[in-house]
Formats: sequence, C-alpha cells, structure tokens
Amino acid sequence: MKDITKFSVKDLNLFYGNFQALKNINMDIYKGQITAFIGPSGCGKSTFLKTINRMNDLIEGVTVNGTVTLDGVDIYKEMDAISLRTRVGMVFQQPNPFPMSIYDNVAYGPRIQGIRKKNTLDEIVEKSLRQAAIWDEVKDKLKKSAQAVSGGQQQRVCIARTLAIEPEVILMDEPTSALDPISTLKIEDLASELKKDYTIIIVTHNMQQAGRISDKTAFFLTGEVIEYGDTEQIFNKPSNKKTEDYITGRFG
Amino acid sequence: MKRNRRKIHDSILKGLIYASTTVTIGILVVIMGFVLYKGLPGININFLTRMWDNETTIVDINRNPVTGENSEENYVESLGITIALEDENIIIKDIEKDSPVEDGLNIKEVPYELKEKDIIAKADKVTFRDITVEEAVAALNEGTGTIRLKVTRPGGGIVPMVISTLYIILLTLLIAAPVGICAAIYLNEYAKPGKVLNIIRFAIQNLAGIPSIIYGLFGMLVFVQNLKMQYSILAGGLTLSIMLLPTIISTTEETLKEVPNVYRQGSMGLGATKLQTISKIILPSALPGILVAIILSIGRIVGESAALIWTAGTVAQIPSSLVGSEAGAATLTTKMYWLIKESADLEAATSIAVVLLALVILLNMVSKLITRRFLRSRTGK
Ligand SMILES: Nc1ncnc2c1ncn2[C@@H]1O[C@H](COP(=O)(O)OP(=O)(O)OP(=O)(O)O)[C@@H](O)[C@H]1O
Ligand SMILES: [Mg+2]
Repeated sequence: MKDITKFSVKDLNLFYGNFQALKNINMDIYKGQITAFIGPSGCGKSTFLKTINRMNDLIEGVTVNGTVTLDGVDIYKEMDAISLRTRVGMVFQQPNPFPMSIYDNVAYGPRIQGIRKKNTLDEIVEKSLRQAAIWDEVKDKLKKSAQAVSGGQQQRVCIARTLAIEPEVILMDEPTSALDPISTLKIEDLASELKKDYTIIIVTHNMQQAGRISDKTAFFLTGEVIEYGDTEQIFNKPSNKKTEDYITGRFG
Repeated sequence: MKRNRRKIHDSILKGLIYASTTVTIGILVVIMGFVLYKGLPGININFLTRMWDNETTIVDINRNPVTGENSEENYVESLGITIALEDENIIIKDIEKDSPVEDGLNIKEVPYELKEKDIIAKADKVTFRDITVEEAVAALNEGTGTIRLKVTRPGGGIVPMVISTLYIILLTLLIAAPVGICAAIYLNEYAKPGKVLNIIRFAIQNLAGIPSIIYGLFGMLVFVQNLKMQYSILAGGLTLSIMLLPTIISTTEETLKEVPNVYRQGSMGLGATKLQTISKIILPSALPGILVAIILSIGRIVGESAALIWTAGTVAQIPSSLVGSEAGAATLTTKMYWLIKESADLEAATSIAVVLLALVILLNMVSKLITRRFLRSRTGK
C-alpha cells in the first residue's frame, strides 16, 4: 500500500516566550496509519500534537513558525482554527467528560455545528458510541452523568465524543496513562480498529504500546525529532544511538 | 510524663473549643429569643397585610337597592354592608356579595374598593363623630343615588416595605448580576494575565471592603442630587448595584476558576468557539456558584440600611415609578432604622426584625438547597 501524506510539517519551530520547545521539525504523517510519538518527559510531544490542531493558539505567548499542511492546505495560514479542529479531533490524557449526560457529551460536537434534529443526533450518538466500543456498556444509561462511569469508560466516551464530529484525524495524548491494563487494552484495540477510517497520532510513554499498535514511530528528544520511520525499524534496528538507548530503557 | 502533659494539653484545648462553641450558640439563641419575645406579639394579620400609613380617600358610591334579605343588626340596606362602632369609629364590619361599595370610585374616578375594617369618617354632609351606630345607619341610608363617603383605611402594616424591598432586590440584581457576571467572564476568560489585570483585581478587592455608608454618600451625591433622581428606588438600586458589583465579580470569578481547564480544552478541541464554550460548558458548570453569589447579594440588600437611607429614602409607600417623588421607598431595614431613630417605636421595629430574620433564614435555606441540588445533579446520583 502506498503511503498517502495527510500532514506535512516543514521547518517547524515553536517558542513558549523565549523558550524553544520544538526545533526544526520536518515530518510527513500518513493517512490511515497510526503514528506514535515517543520520548522522555518534557521533550515536546504534547506541544507538537497541539500545533497540529492549533490548540496552542489558546496559550499566551506562543509563536510558531514553519508550515504545517493538512491535505496540502496550510493550517496556520489558509484555515481557521475552529474548522481545523472539527477535522482534527483530540483525546486528552485525563478523561475529561463534561459534567452532563453521556448522550449530551457525545452530542456536544454535532450540536455545536448546528445539528438539532433529535433523530439525527440519536443516530450520531449511537454510531459514535458503537465505534468507540462502549455502546453495549452504556446504552441503558445514556441519560446518566458521563462522570458517573469508570475511568476507562469515560475515556471511551471521550473518544466517542471526538468521533461524533467525524474528524479525519484523531490526536491522542497519552490516552491510556490514567487507565488500568484492561481498559488500556480496550483502547489499543479500538485504535487499531479505528485506523481503517481515521488517521491516528498517539503520544505514549509505553514502549510496548507504541510497538503493538503503531505503523510509524517518531522519537523526540529535547524538542527535536531524533528519528522517524516504520515502527518495526525503529524498534528493531534504530539507526540512531540515542533512539536505541531510549528504546532499550538505558535512557531517561 | 510527656504523654501526661500532652493529655492535659489536649483536654484544655478541647475545653476551649467547647466553651467557644457554647458561647457562640448561646449568643445566637439569646438574640433570636429576645427578638422573637419582643417582636412576635406585634405580628398579626394586620401587620402583615396592611399599608403602613392610614389612608384617607373620598369615595363615591352609586347606591342601588340591594336585593336579598339581611336581618343582621346595623345592616345598611342601601349599601349592602354591616357597620359597627370600634374605638369610637364607625367601621365596616361586613360586606355583602355584590355590594355597591365594591365598585366605589375615588375623586379621580379610579375604582376604589372598600374593604372590611375601613373606617367611615363622613357620609355626604354628616361627619361621623360622636355618633351612634343607629344614627350612622340612618345617615348612610339617607337619600338615593350616589353617596360620597370619606373613608380611612387603617395602616400599621409592612406591605409597602415588603414590596419596596422586593423592588429594590429585583432592580439591583437586574443591573448588577449581568454586569458582574460579564465582567467576571471577561476577567477570567478573556483578559490577558499581567499588570493591568492585577491592578483591576486589587481594585475590586478593595472596593468590596468599603463601608456601605460611603456608597450611600456617593449615591446621594451622584444619583439623587446630580442626576436629579430624588430619593427613589432607581437611585437606591444603582447605589446597591455598585456596592455589590465587586462581590458578585469576585465570587463569580472564583467559581469560574474552579471550572476545570480540561473542560475548556475539551470543548475547544471539538471545534467550539470560545463563546460557545463559555455559554454551554463554563457557565452551566459555574451556575451553582453564581446563584449562591446572587443569593448572598440578596441577603446583603435585605440587610442594608446605610447605603439606602440617603438614596431610596424612608417613605413607607409602594413606589409607582423608578425616579421622582413617587419612587421613594423604605425597605424593611431602613424603616426599622428610622423607627428606632425617629419615633423610638421599638415594638414595631422588633416586629420588623422578626420578619427580617425569617427572610434571611429562608434565603439561607434556599441557597443550601440550590447548592445541594446542583452537586447531586453534577455527580449524577
Ligand atoms: N504553556 C507552556 N508554557 C511554557 N512552557 C511550556 C508550556 N507547555 C510546555 N512547556 C515546556 O515545553 C516543553 C515541552 O513540553 P511538552 O508538554 O510538550 O512535553 P511532553 O513531551 O509532552 O512531556 P510529557 O511526556 O511529560 O507529557 C517542556 O520543557 C515544558 O516545560
Ligand atoms: Mg505531554
């Protein structure tokens, strides 16, 4: 299968005030694949993720230069952040359901986009919850608060909430770090399932997780991409000594 | 040794805590008891339902023969009422159904319905002074057609103050709540952190601590005098709004700060605009806190005297406009202050105090209820 470029990042630098958090990043991210970002804490993985859907716009004093294109369109110059974010959804490290019912959580995005018809919303909610592999667990408590279910279920509700806006890309920032092993496995299976229809980028501290589910892996260190390539190659024959050290646990 | 000393230490501390608690509760009980003991006897239906001042009106009544029989003593056939002598006054004791006194007109031709307990002071040319009931009945039955009565409706009730208090609460909240909430949203969600914001916060904190008499003075100078509003509910409401704004802003801002940032990120991450995020996620989450801020404000309005006496005045009337002489209004608290200071009518003052206490307790209960209800719906149980 030929790799189709979804995101193309060229000469990207990012500063928090005077502090340079991302240094000269060049990377293509491919459609229908899972791309994993690994690297020690503070190396800029979350920062990079947030430049891809412009969540950094919300932080004071951030400057970005370089280009990021989505399907060839510059997301900083030729797109507004709001419509970009409906195409590039995000799942956060801590499950963050809104303090409302499961149904209202999942229907939030569609409602924001002006969908009001009850039938349509019902369909979207069911479809998204099914896709997120949580429909059977919550179908009887859709009207219950989304914060009253387990952490793993909350995270899958949040994934469903993201799926409901029908994004093309899903960004996941350590989506399983707050979850138990069983919930973690469920989310991993889910990610592998979802890549049929979506492009997925996942930040993880868990090497096995990256190895298990991703097609491509990027290794970050102090704001730079040290190595980027097929997951198999990165894990088995890393070409950079630092990558090897990190992967074998001799580092960080 | 050491253990023993610690034990003694502990029991002394415990004793202190118990003693302080007892004193606090004791004081509370004594105050409540005293107010209730002094004030309760003065509270009755008349106190709760009447106007404050006696009200004298000239009323024209178009007599028509009332059908139906009434064998009661002192029944005035032509008017369909029964009268009686009370405290040397002729009062209306009973009103028949369909009595013409229900359709009275005052001299401005505005309907004025007579009520039981109204005092009749004059009928056409006859003044009802040193008069027997029989003579009064005869005078009232005299002639046919329209009869002109001079009627005094006895006061002594708190209705105008209750209504004025409600008006001022409403007016103040109508001004202060939207402005305060919007300001808090701006400060917390939009304003860039930095020196300016810190100065604004500092100012707000200090404004909240200014004694209310200073707001009262300001309100009198600006609204009452310069803007020529006279003593009026609008001048009072504006003054109270300014006084309460800092508290509403900072309480609301506190509540907004407690809304987790991950909600904001979650919402923005789903393609919501900032305004959508605020209206759909942040405000609903902050609602209980905002409501509590509003209820606390109501409590302060109810209890305020210094800021109102020189802005809304101390006339016991139901205000009929926002500004001008018809708009002056004493609240329960300002009237109480006035009673103690001017007329030394301590009995009436304590009776008002009882009503105020009841009101404040009610407000507290409502705010508890709201907080609890919201907490429950939020955790989904
Ligand atoms: N809002 C901010 N303001 C200033 N500096 C920031 C901000 N957010 C992150 N940084 C800095 O940028 C660098 C990269 O942070 P980032 O959160 O992207 O790291 P990360 O790789 O995601 O780490 P972790 O694995 O711990 O999540 C860190 O040095 C961090 O201190
Ligand atoms: Mg991170």
